Amino acid sequence: MAGRRIVITSGKGGVGKTTTTANLGAALAKRGSRVVLVDADIGLRNLDLVLGLEKRIVFDLVEVVEGRCQLRQALIKDKRFESLAILPAAQTRDKDAITESQFESVIAEAAQNADYVLIDCPAGIEGGFRNAVAGAKEAIVVTTPEVSAIRDADRVVGKLNDRALPIRLIVNRLRPEMVRTGDMLSVEDVCEILAVELVGVIPEDPEVIDTTNRGEPIVLDPAARLGIIYEKIARRLEGEMVPFTSFDSQGFFGKLFGALKAG
Amino acid sequence: MRAVLSSAGIELRAVEPAPDGAELARRRAMRPKRELKLSDAARSLVADFDGARADIAERRKRGEASVRRTNANAAAAAASAALQVAPPPPPGTLYHVGTLRGGQALHHAGNIVVVGDVNPGTELVATGDIVVFGRLLGVAHAGAQGDNDAKVYALQLHATQLRIASVIAVDEEHARSASEPEVAFVRDGRIAIAPFSKAAEVAG
Repeated sequence: MAGRRIVITSGKGGVGKTTTTANLGAALAKRGSRVVLVDADIGLRNLDLVLGLEKRIVFDLVEVVEGRCQLRQALIKDKRFESLAILPAAQTRDKDAITESQFESVIAEAAQNADYVLIDCPAGIEGGFRNAVAGAKEAIVVTTPEVSAIRDADRVVGKLNDRALPIRLIVNRLRPEMVRTGDMLSVEDVCEILAVELVGVIPEDPEVIDTTNRGEPIVLDPAARLGIIYEKIARRLEGEMVPFTSFDSQGFFGKLFGALKAG
Repeated sequence: MRAVLSSAGIELRAVEPAPDGAELARRRAMRPKRELKLSDAARSLVADFDGARADIAERRKRGEASVRRTNANAAAAAASAALQVAPPPPPGTLYHVGTLRGGQALHHAGNIVVVGDVNPGTELVATGDIVVFGRLLGVAHAGAQGDNDAKVYALQLHATQLRIASVIAVDEEHARSASEPEVAFVRDGRIAIAPFSKAAEVAG
């Protein structure tokens, strides 16, 4: 049976699509699934960097599409997770280098030998977005609790509805202490506006910047709280009912933030 | 401005404000309208061409070349023959001045010389050597059509990936932080990097 094909998109740039793709992929692989991550951001590739695999790129998505290499030659296996591979985007080409149907057939081929194909969508709703979405059967929309990001996410949800894709939502970079003081929209506010199924809430965490810069998924660190959250999202994707982490002042994060403030 | 220039001994002449559009239109309207008439010289030129056309038609009819070869043409032919004898330029070297940024690529049949930095995400592909007079941080592929003797030179050689002919190398450790110019070459089927100052003895 072919694997699930999920596009990770947002409309707005900089909300954490690539970080989410990398860590969610790593979390799924850690749970034993065979995962292929596809960087659909042709010309502005990043996924390889976030996973620390940049140096091992020889072939890329466009070369697969153009028939200059086999898909399996272009897939880069992650040394840390046996069942995780990425298909890098081309850096010296642009979004027009491939068509929707070409992308769709590459994704279909990748899904033959994987349980999950996660597609890291470029920002925007133009050609690159259409390509990325054409290859998918499901979608995860990533947004931050900011008005502009939510506005763009809403636009994207509309576009995905047109294609009848099931949509799930991840609220990224939440700052619980700002929500408490009323300076940031809460998860409830975001869900009320977007009205799609929530699969994850990820608090802002400086550690992500560090691990991303070092090219390591945060899931690698068993003690990292974000790693645990990504694993929970992975379990929810697999259909498990997993309670959401509490961000109240009484909860784990509340204590942690309290401690940070006190320190 | 004028004062500054004249104090420097420079005199401004004929500098008057450019006429505005309305003024130009007025002048154009004032210009007398005449029919185009050919001068005597021009008329004689037309006659010459008529003669030439008749001559060419006549030659065609006789099955000869339509253009008469003159002595001047012979001289030009001799000159171009002399040019052909001159040595051809060396196999093309692509010379690029300026920083190459991520997403840019130079592909060239021959050597590539970059005077400037080559940032990550850049691709240099040459059938010959690659010389970077700056930092090489992108991907460089020398000898791309199988020349194992091709080399990659850089003032700072920190390529994301180096390829020479069909050999690929990656510097996984970030260990080297050499600040002197280096050269990469193939040795025993692997890519080796040596300080440029010792390149002659090492590569030899």
